[in-house]
Amino acid sequence: MTVVVGYVPTPEGEAALTQAIAEARKSNSTLVLINSSKGEAAVDNRFAQEGDIQDIGQRLASQGIEYLIKRPVRGHDAAAEVLDAAEEHNADLIVIGLRRRTPVGKLIMGSTSQRILLEADCPVLAVKAG
Amino acid sequence: MDVWSSLMDGFATALTPMNFLYAVIGVVLGTAVGVLPGLGPAMTVALLLPVTYALEPTSAFIMFAGIYYGGMYGGSTTSILLNTPGESSSVVTAIEGNKMAKAGRAAQALATAAIGSFVAGTIGTALLAVCAPIVVKFAVSLGAPSYFAIMVLALLAVTAVLGSSRLRGFASLGLGLAIGLVGMDSVTGQRRLTFGQPLLADGLDIVVVAVAIFAVGEALWVAAHLRRTPLHAIPVGQPWMGKSDWKRSWKPWLRGTAFGFPFGALPAGGAEIPTFLSYVTEKRLSKHPEEFGKGAIEGVAGPEAANNAAAAGTLTPMLALGLPTNATAAVMLAAFTSYGIQPGPQLFESQGPLVWALIASLFIGNTLLLLINLPLAPMWAKLLQLPRPYLYAGILFFATLGAYSVNLQAFDLVILLVLGALGFMMRRFGLPVLPLILGVILGPRIEGQLRKTLQLSAGDPAGLLGEPIAVGIYVIIGLILLWPFAYKMFRRNRPERRPLIPANSGAADYSD
Amino acid sequence: MTSLTTGLKGRSELGVALLLGAAGVLVFLDANGLATPYSKSDPVGPKTVPFIVAGMLVVCAVLLALNVLRGGKGEAEGGEDVDLTHPADWKTVLPLAGAFILNILLIDWAGWVISGTVLFWGSVLALGSRRYVRDGLISVALSLLTFYGFYLGLGIALPAGLLEGIL
Repeated sequence: MTVVVGYVPTPEGEAALTQAIAEARKSNSTLVLINSSKGEAAVDNRFAQEGDIQDIGQRLASQGIEYLIKRPVRGHDAAAEVLDAAEEHNADLIVIGLRRRTPVGKLIMGSTSQRILLEADCPVLAVKAG
Repeated sequence: MDVWSSLMDGFATALTPMNFLYAVIGVVLGTAVGVLPGLGPAMTVALLLPVTYALEPTSAFIMFAGIYYGGMYGGSTTSILLNTPGESSSVVTAIEGNKMAKAGRAAQALATAAIGSFVAGTIGTALLAVCAPIVVKFAVSLGAPSYFAIMVLALLAVTAVLGSSRLRGFASLGLGLAIGLVGMDSVTGQRRLTFGQPLLADGLDIVVVAVAIFAVGEALWVAAHLRRTPLHAIPVGQPWMGKSDWKRSWKPWLRGTAFGFPFGALPAGGAEIPTFLSYVTEKRLSKHPEEFGKGAIEGVAGPEAANNAAAAGTLTPMLALGLPTNATAAVMLAAFTSYGIQPGPQLFESQGPLVWALIASLFIGNTLLLLINLPLAPMWAKLLQLPRPYLYAGILFFATLGAYSVNLQAFDLVILLVLGALGFMMRRFGLPVLPLILGVILGPRIEGQLRKTLQLSAGDPAGLLGEPIAVGIYVIIGLILLWPFAYKMFRRNRPERRPLIPANSGAADYSD
Repeated sequence: MTSLTTGLKGRSELGVALLLGAAGVLVFLDANGLATPYSKSDPVGPKTVPFIVAGMLVVCAVLLALNVLRGGKGEAEGGEDVDLTHPADWKTVLPLAGAFILNILLIDWAGWVISGTVLFWGSVLALGSRRYVRDGLISVALSLLTFYGFYLGLGIALPAGLLEGIL
């Protein structure tokens, strides 16, 4: 049993992670954490730094959860990476964080979350921060 | 002409709408380039060299100077906000600056860097305006033998003192001199190193060489080793400083300037040493030494000022003697050459208005930079999110465009590729790039001076020592060349001293 | 085993020494072929400096070879965007060079607009961008803009090539 969580170092991402941990414990699943970047720009604040990843790893280990952290940097966007991982690991659940958007924002941005929600083969749990 | 009136005339020229616009373009471009990783002012000026064929020299140099100073400002923004610094002279700023940013004091770090850069830049440019004419007055009295000696000294200083491997520096210099030889010999008109190719008869255009080495070579090299893992930029609001920050910063600013300018002006100086010296001094003099290593504002204020003062200092030998001591100055010198302007002491005489307009524009540019960097720093930081494929593709695109537009010859592009590959190889194997470009620029001039000297002495090699200055310089050259050998022998004769810190204290890792 | 591996590692830098030596020999041979009528006004002659440079290159070549064989290593240049922990990424560099060469071949014949497009598009592709259509559009736009910009702004007429009548 596998739970895939799309993680970013933001409040939404943290909320998603917390929820994913809860889900993984409930169903005794493996947690697969995806934090990806296109790698195109020199700076990507949505790509977690090494220290944060280590902290997360320790947090997961201390809660007795079997986990796998993947940080692909190969030019694909986040939705594609999460969907790829879900397919690869036969995920039973995907957990993602949702950002509150202004009406204009909803119009303009083709969102990562929307793509995952629509294209995933398994149930998707969308979590808001706070 | 006294300095003040020349400078005022310079301001009049620099403040015309056209030139002011170019100053703005220059500083904006310079800051952007300084912020963006992988780019630098030298590369940018090189890429713009072809455009100089269409611009007035004054306007072009005003723009270049803006790029030069702007690069310093942009570089400090990056070194404070990213956890890896840019140019080697920003390394020291990053030590304290990044720590400050991590502790939530990015705004203060950026503010002290920007204001310190402004103070240092203004004072430095003022010193430039005062010192350059003095150097010129002294230099004009020199004859060919001394010129020759000075140029050899400059070449040697850059080759043998800067950089980690003197041997590779000399190798690079040799290649540069060889490239400079291609073409027609100025005195006898014979073709050298042209291999029967008529297109090479005019020599390799310095613009093409500069673009190839600085832009294409750099782009290829970075493309081959692109940092794939993205970094984090520490978010920051508008830079500002509190009263105590001001109190702690102003003396380091002045001290940093005092360190930076002389080192920048010396042929073998560079900006790394004064920034390091400034850091160490500030640490020693600080009332809060325990903060160093965790984000001490003096550790940003001093080195930043030193950095910018050194940049101003570098322009002194460049304008007064035609001797560049860093890559950007070298490329600007190439620009002079491509305009047909002979750099050297007579520059102030023959192109006085241009030089003074340039210096005036430095003051203006400095002020502009403060204005655009202080409030707009967060915006500049956003630039870091530009996708790099577009960046490097753009460099190659504009490099090609520029090199082609020089002569509308596809052959120049072949040269661009070959020399670009050379630039790549040099970066791979640690051959410094600066001696090469200096060899290309100064080689023909040195040869000219040499021939003139011996012509004056009717073939007698003693003519090289004809002037006392020349003799003095040769002594200095001898010292520079022999120094490492003397040092090694000196160490061998003295018994090995015990290390000052015991090996197991963990303080340092000593290896022989 | 170690001496073999160090020998192999040093080999690539020996290539540099080889290049330097070859350059030196080249300069020497070329200079040798020059005529030097002795003249009072030019006692140095066109050969002297090339000989000096050639000598310098050869000496450096030899010393560098010795240095490399003894274990010396040139430090690859670092930088803000440079990650030296991996060997050179030829999969990126060679396509880049390829795009460059294509441009050289096409520029006079097919015109700047086409060759520039190929150059930019090829470069972004080589560097990893996946947005094919968007990149293509940007490439065409850039080439067109610079074509007209250089002509109108700088008076430099880039070749129109195949699109001669249209532009």
